[in-house]
Amino acid sequence: MALAALKQPACLLREEGKLGSKIEMDAFLRDVQTRAYRITLASVRDADEALDIVQDAMISLVRKYSARPVEEWRPLFYRILKNRTLDWQRRGIVRGRVMSFFGGQEGEGYDPVARATGPSSENPVETVARSDAMDALENALADLPGRQREAFMLRNLEGLNVSETATAMGCSEGSVKTHYSRAVHRLRGLLGEHL
Amino acid sequence: MNTGNVMKNRELEKRTKRIFDESVSALDAATLSKLTQARYKALEQLEKNSAITSRSRWIPACAVAVGAFVVMVFWQGQPPGVSEVQTFDVVALSDLEILLGDEELDMIQELEFYAWLDEQAEIVPADGTEGGVG
Repeated sequence: MALAALKQPACLLREEGKLGSKIEMDAFLRDVQTRAYRITLASVRDADEALDIVQDAMISLVRKYSARPVEEWRPLFYRILKNRTLDWQRRGIVRGRVMSFFGGQEGEGYDPVARATGPSSENPVETVARSDAMDALENALADLPGRQREAFMLRNLEGLNVSETATAMGCSEGSVKTHYSRAVHRLRGLLGEHL
Repeated sequence: MNTGNVMKNRELEKRTKRIFDESVSALDAATLSKLTQARYKALEQLEKNSAITSRSRWIPACAVAVGAFVVMVFWQGQPPGVSEVQTFDVVALSDLEILLGDEELDMIQELEFYAWLDEQAEIVPADGTEGGVG
Protein backbone atom coordinates (compact mmCIF):
# COMPACT_ATOMS: atom_id res chain seq x y z
CA MET A 1 0.00 0.00 0.00
CA ALA A 2 2.72 2.45 1.04
CA LEU A 3 5.01 1.28 -1.77
CA ALA A 4 2.20 1.62 -4.29
CA ALA A 5 1.58 5.16 -3.07
CA LEU A 6 5.27 6.00 -3.47
CA LYS A 7 5.20 4.87 -7.10
CA GLN A 8 2.28 7.18 -7.95
CA PRO A 9 2.88 10.67 -9.32
CA ALA A 10 2.43 13.54 -6.84
CA CYS A 11 -0.57 15.00 -8.68
CA LEU A 12 -2.42 11.67 -8.44
CA LEU A 13 -1.74 11.46 -4.70
CA ARG A 14 -3.04 15.00 -4.27
CA GLU A 15 -6.21 14.09 -6.12
CA GLU A 16 -6.64 11.02 -3.91
CA GLY A 17 -6.14 13.17 -0.80
CA LYS A 18 -8.85 15.54 -1.93
CA LEU A 19 -11.15 12.65 -2.73
CA GLY A 20 -10.43 11.06 0.66
CA SER A 21 -11.25 14.21 2.57
CA LYS A 22 -14.42 14.69 0.51
CA ILE A 23 -15.54 11.13 1.27
CA GLU A 24 -14.80 11.61 4.98
CA MET A 25 -16.59 14.96 5.10
CA ASP A 26 -19.57 13.51 3.22
CA ALA A 27 -19.77 10.60 5.69
CA PHE A 28 -19.50 12.95 8.65
CA LEU A 29 -22.21 15.31 7.40
CA ARG A 30 -24.45 12.38 6.48
CA ASP A 31 -24.00 11.06 10.02
CA VAL A 32 -24.87 14.31 11.79
CA GLN A 33 -27.35 15.99 9.45
CA THR A 34 -30.62 14.46 10.69
CA ARG A 35 -29.74 14.71 14.38
CA ALA A 36 -28.45 18.25 13.92
CA TYR A 37 -31.67 19.18 12.17
CA ARG A 38 -33.83 17.61 14.90
CA ILE A 39 -31.88 19.28 17.69
CA THR A 40 -32.07 22.64 15.93
CA LEU A 41 -35.77 22.19 15.31
CA ALA A 42 -36.25 21.61 19.03
CA SER A 43 -34.60 24.99 19.66
CA VAL A 44 -36.09 27.15 16.91
CA ARG A 45 -39.46 25.37 16.35
CA ASP A 46 -39.47 26.26 12.66
CA ALA A 47 -38.66 23.60 10.04
CA ASP A 48 -37.40 25.97 7.31
CA GLU A 49 -35.28 27.98 9.72
CA ALA A 50 -33.84 24.78 11.19
CA LEU A 51 -32.88 23.59 7.69
CA ASP A 52 -31.24 26.92 6.89
CA ILE A 53 -29.28 26.91 10.14
CA VAL A 54 -28.04 23.34 9.60
CA GLN A 55 -27.03 24.14 6.03
CA ASP A 56 -25.17 27.26 7.16
CA ALA A 57 -23.36 25.25 9.82
CA MET A 58 -22.38 22.56 7.30
CA ILE A 59 -21.05 25.13 4.83
CA SER A 60 -19.16 26.97 7.55
CA LEU A 61 -17.55 23.75 8.79
CA VAL A 62 -16.45 22.75 5.29
CA ARG A 63 -15.21 26.23 4.43
CA LYS A 64 -13.24 26.89 7.60
CA TYR A 65 -12.39 23.60 9.24
CA SER A 66 -12.24 20.87 6.58
CA ALA A 67 -8.44 20.83 6.90
CA ARG A 68 -8.65 20.10 10.64
CA PRO A 69 -8.39 16.50 11.95
CA VAL A 70 -11.57 14.49 11.49
CA GLU A 71 -12.01 13.90 15.24
CA GLU A 72 -12.34 17.68 15.75
CA TRP A 73 -15.18 18.07 13.28
CA ARG A 74 -18.01 16.97 15.57
CA PRO A 75 -17.45 19.46 18.43
CA LEU A 76 -16.61 22.21 15.93
CA PHE A 77 -19.77 21.52 13.96
CA TYR A 78 -21.96 21.64 17.04
CA ARG A 79 -20.26 24.82 18.18
CA ILE A 80 -21.05 26.45 14.83
CA LEU A 81 -24.60 25.11 15.01
CA LYS A 82 -25.05 26.49 18.51
CA ASN A 83 -23.77 29.92 17.44
CA ARG A 84 -26.02 29.97 14.38
CA THR A 85 -29.02 29.04 16.53
CA LEU A 86 -28.18 31.77 19.04
CA ASP A 87 -27.84 34.31 16.20
CA TRP A 88 -31.24 33.26 14.89
CA GLN A 89 -32.81 33.61 18.34
CA ARG A 90 -31.27 37.07 18.81
CA ARG A 91 -32.53 38.16 15.39
CA GLY A 92 -35.97 36.86 16.35
CA ILE A 93 -35.97 38.96 19.51
CA VAL A 94 -35.02 42.09 17.56
CA ARG A 95 -37.59 41.28 14.85
CA GLY A 96 -40.28 40.77 17.49
CA ARG A 97 -39.48 44.11 19.08
CA VAL A 98 -39.61 45.91 15.74
CA MET A 99 -42.89 44.23 14.77
CA SER A 100 -44.50 45.04 18.11
CA PHE A 101 -43.28 48.63 17.79
CA PHE A 102 -45.08 48.95 14.45
CA GLY A 103 -48.16 47.13 15.76
CA GLY A 104 -47.81 44.08 13.48
CA GLN A 105 -47.60 40.39 14.26
CA GLU A 106 -44.58 38.28 13.57
CA GLY A 107 -46.70 35.31 12.52
CA GLU A 108 -48.36 37.12 9.63
CA GLY A 109 -48.07 35.23 6.39
CA TYR A 110 -47.78 31.87 8.14
CA ASP A 111 -49.05 29.11 5.91
CA PRO A 112 -49.76 25.90 7.85
CA VAL A 113 -50.33 23.86 4.65
CA ALA A 114 -46.97 24.88 3.20
CA ARG A 115 -45.25 24.04 6.46
CA ALA A 116 -46.97 20.71 7.00
CA THR A 117 -44.73 17.63 6.82
CA GLY A 118 -45.30 15.00 4.15
CA PRO A 119 -47.46 11.90 4.63
CA SER A 120 -45.97 9.04 6.60
CA SER A 121 -46.63 5.35 6.05
CA GLU A 122 -46.55 4.35 9.71
CA ASN A 123 -49.32 3.72 12.20
CA PRO A 124 -51.06 7.06 13.03
CA VAL A 125 -51.47 6.06 16.70
CA GLU A 126 -47.72 5.51 17.03
CA THR A 127 -47.04 8.77 15.21
CA VAL A 128 -49.27 10.71 17.59
CA ALA A 129 -47.79 9.03 20.66
CA ARG A 130 -44.22 9.73 19.54
CA SER A 131 -45.12 13.23 18.47
CA ASP A 132 -46.69 13.90 21.88
CA ALA A 133 -43.61 12.58 23.68
CA MET A 134 -41.29 14.67 21.54
CA ASP A 135 -43.51 17.74 21.99
CA ALA A 136 -43.37 17.25 25.75
CA LEU A 137 -39.59 16.89 25.59
CA GLU A 138 -39.25 19.99 23.39
CA ASN A 139 -41.45 22.00 25.74
CA ALA A 140 -39.44 20.86 28.75
CA LEU A 141 -36.17 21.68 26.97
CA ALA A 142 -37.53 25.12 26.08
CA ASP A 143 -38.10 25.74 29.80
CA LEU A 144 -34.44 25.09 30.65
CA PRO A 145 -31.89 27.90 30.81
CA GLY A 146 -29.88 28.07 27.57
CA ARG A 147 -26.62 26.55 28.86
CA GLN A 148 -28.41 23.67 30.59
CA ARG A 149 -30.38 22.95 27.41
CA GLU A 150 -27.19 22.95 25.33
CA ALA A 151 -25.38 20.66 27.75
CA PHE A 152 -28.26 18.20 27.87
CA MET A 153 -28.82 18.14 24.11
CA LEU A 154 -25.17 17.72 23.24
CA ARG A 155 -24.30 15.22 25.97
CA ASN A 156 -27.41 13.08 26.04
CA LEU A 157 -29.23 13.51 22.73
CA GLU A 158 -26.20 13.94 20.46
CA GLY A 159 -23.96 11.64 22.45
CA LEU A 160 -20.91 13.93 22.66
CA ASN A 161 -18.49 13.19 25.50
CA VAL A 162 -17.70 15.80 28.18
CA SER A 163 -14.60 17.09 26.37
CA GLU A 164 -16.40 17.44 23.02
CA THR A 165 -19.36 19.13 24.70
CA ALA A 166 -16.99 21.59 26.40
CA THR A 167 -15.45 22.46 23.02
CA ALA A 168 -18.87 22.82 21.41
CA MET A 169 -20.16 25.01 24.24
CA GLY A 170 -16.94 26.98 24.60
CA CYS A 171 -16.61 26.34 28.34
CA SER A 172 -14.73 24.11 30.77
CA GLU A 173 -15.50 20.44 31.33
CA GLY A 174 -16.47 21.26 34.92
CA SER A 175 -19.11 23.72 33.68
CA VAL A 176 -20.48 21.08 31.33
CA LYS A 177 -20.91 18.64 34.21
CA THR A 178 -22.63 21.27 36.35
CA HIS A 179 -25.01 22.42 33.58
CA TYR A 180 -25.78 18.82 32.64
CA SER A 181 -26.50 17.73 36.19
CA ARG A 182 -28.84 20.68 36.77
CA ALA A 183 -30.57 20.05 33.44
CA VAL A 184 -31.27 16.41 34.31
CA HIS A 185 -32.56 17.38 37.75
CA ARG A 186 -34.87 20.02 36.29
CA LEU A 187 -36.12 17.82 33.46
CA ARG A 188 -37.09 15.17 35.95
CA GLY A 189 -39.38 17.69 37.56
CA LEU A 190 -40.76 18.93 34.24
CA LEU A 191 -41.23 15.57 32.54
CA GLY A 192 -42.17 13.45 35.56
CA GLU A 193 -45.58 12.34 34.37
CA HIS A 194 -44.78 12.28 30.64
CA LEU A 195 -42.01 9.69 30.80
CA MET B 1 -26.51 11.79 45.60
CA ASN B 2 -28.30 8.57 46.60
CA THR B 3 -28.66 5.51 44.41
CA GLY B 4 -32.38 6.14 43.83
CA ASN B 5 -31.69 9.54 42.32
CA VAL B 6 -28.92 8.16 40.15
CA MET B 7 -31.25 5.46 38.87
CA LYS B 8 -33.97 8.00 38.12
CA ASN B 9 -31.50 10.20 36.30
CA ARG B 10 -30.28 7.27 34.20
CA GLU B 11 -33.87 6.40 33.39
CA LEU B 12 -34.62 9.96 32.28
CA GLU B 13 -31.49 10.01 30.10
CA LYS B 14 -32.44 6.72 28.43
CA ARG B 15 -36.04 7.68 27.78
CA THR B 16 -35.34 11.15 26.45
CA LYS B 17 -32.64 9.70 24.19
CA ARG B 18 -35.07 7.08 22.90
CA ILE B 19 -37.76 9.71 22.19
CA PHE B 20 -35.23 11.86 20.37
CA ASP B 21 -33.84 8.94 18.32
CA GLU B 22 -37.33 7.89 17.29
CA SER B 23 -38.19 11.41 16.17
CA VAL B 24 -34.96 11.52 14.14
CA SER B 25 -35.69 8.24 12.40
CA ALA B 26 -39.27 9.38 11.68
CA LEU B 27 -38.22 12.44 9.67
CA ASP B 28 -40.24 12.71 6.47
CA ALA B 29 -38.77 12.16 3.02
CA ALA B 30 -39.07 15.83 2.01
CA THR B 31 -36.96 16.95 4.97
CA LEU B 32 -34.38 14.22 4.36
CA SER B 33 -34.15 15.30 0.73
CA LYS B 34 -33.61 18.94 1.74
CA LEU B 35 -30.91 17.86 4.18
CA THR B 36 -29.17 15.88 1.44
CA GLN B 37 -29.25 18.93 -0.82
CA ALA B 38 -27.82 21.03 2.00
CA ARG B 39 -25.01 18.49 2.41
CA TYR B 40 -24.18 18.58 -1.30
CA LYS B 41 -24.13 22.36 -1.20
CA ALA B 42 -21.68 22.24 1.69
CA LEU B 43 -19.47 19.71 -0.12
CA GLU B 44 -19.30 22.04 -3.12
CA GLN B 45 -17.42 24.40 -0.83
CA LEU B 46 -14.76 21.72 -0.38
CA GLU B 47 -14.04 21.78 -4.13
CA LYS B 48 -13.99 25.58 -4.13
CA ASN B 49 -11.61 25.51 -1.15
CA SER B 50 -9.16 23.21 -2.94
CA ALA B 51 -9.31 25.35 -6.11
CA ILE B 52 -8.55 28.49 -4.10
CA THR B 53 -5.73 26.72 -2.22
CA SER B 54 -4.06 25.51 -5.42
CA ARG B 55 -4.31 29.00 -6.93
CA SER B 56 -3.06 30.69 -3.78
CA ARG B 57 0.14 28.59 -3.95
CA TRP B 58 1.22 30.67 -6.98
CA ILE B 59 0.49 34.05 -5.39
CA PRO B 60 3.82 34.47 -3.52
CA ALA B 61 5.84 33.35 -6.56
CA CYS B 62 3.95 35.77 -8.83
CA ALA B 63 4.40 38.61 -6.36
CA VAL B 64 8.17 38.02 -6.19
CA ALA B 65 8.43 37.84 -9.99
CA VAL B 66 6.48 41.09 -10.48
CA GLY B 67 8.54 42.83 -7.80
CA ALA B 68 11.80 41.70 -9.41
CA PHE B 69 10.59 42.87 -12.84
CA VAL B 70 9.66 46.34 -11.52
CA VAL B 71 13.04 46.69 -9.79
CA MET B 72 14.88 45.68 -12.99
CA VAL B 73 12.92 48.19 -15.08
CA PHE B 74 13.69 51.08 -12.75
CA TRP B 75 17.29 50.06 -12.20
CA GLN B 76 18.22 49.70 -15.90
CA GLY B 77 16.20 52.71 -17.04
CA GLN B 78 18.77 55.28 -15.87
CA PRO B 79 22.58 55.51 -15.54
CA PRO B 80 24.09 54.35 -12.29
CA GLY B 81 24.38 57.02 -9.61
CA VAL B 82 21.76 59.29 -11.15
CA SER B 83 18.47 59.47 -9.42
CA GLU B 84 15.19 60.65 -10.91
CA VAL B 85 15.29 63.85 -8.85
CA GLN B 86 18.77 64.65 -10.06
CA THR B 87 17.74 64.16 -13.74
CA PHE B 88 14.85 66.54 -13.26
CA ASP B 89 17.17 69.17 -11.71
CA VAL B 90 19.65 68.98 -14.62
CA VAL B 91 16.92 69.46 -17.25
CA ALA B 92 15.36 72.35 -15.36
CA LEU B 93 18.73 74.12 -14.99
CA SER B 94 19.60 73.83 -18.72
CA ASP B 95 16.26 75.43 -19.62
CA LEU B 96 16.95 78.19 -17.16
CA GLU B 97 20.35 78.91 -18.73
CA ILE B 98 18.76 79.36 -22.18
CA LEU B 99 16.08 81.64 -20.84
CA LEU B 100 18.51 83.79 -18.88
CA GLY B 101 21.30 83.77 -21.51
CA ASP B 102 22.49 86.79 -23.54
CA GLU B 103 21.49 85.19 -26.89
CA GLU B 104 18.67 86.86 -28.65
CA LEU B 105 15.34 85.09 -28.62
CA ASP B 106 15.15 85.35 -32.47
CA MET B 107 18.00 82.90 -32.72
CA ILE B 108 16.25 80.41 -30.48
CA GLN B 109 13.07 80.75 -32.55
CA GLU B 110 15.02 79.95 -35.79
CA LEU B 111 16.44 76.69 -34.49
CA GLU B 112 15.37 74.81 -37.62
CA PHE B 113 17.46 77.13 -39.80
CA TYR B 114 20.54 76.63 -37.64
CA ALA B 115 20.04 72.90 -37.65
CA TRP B 116 19.95 72.93 -41.47
CA LEU B 117 23.08 75.08 -41.50
CA ASP B 118 24.79 72.58 -39.24
CA GLU B 119 23.90 69.70 -41.61
CA GLN B 120 25.31 71.59 -44.60
CA ALA B 121 28.59 72.11 -42.78
CA GLU B 122 28.84 68.32 -42.20
CA ILE B 123 28.23 67.61 -45.94
CA VAL B 124 31.04 69.93 -47.11
CA PRO B 125 34.28 67.85 -47.26
CA ALA B 126 37.40 68.79 -45.42
CA ASP B 127 39.13 70.29 -48.53
CA GLY B 128 36.37 72.85 -48.97
CA THR B 129 35.03 71.55 -52.35
CA GLU B 130 31.51 70.24 -52.68
CA GLY B 131 31.43 66.49 -53.23
CA GLY B 132 30.81 65.28 -56.83
CA VAL B 133 30.97 68.71 -58.40
CA GLY B 134 33.80 69.99 -60.44
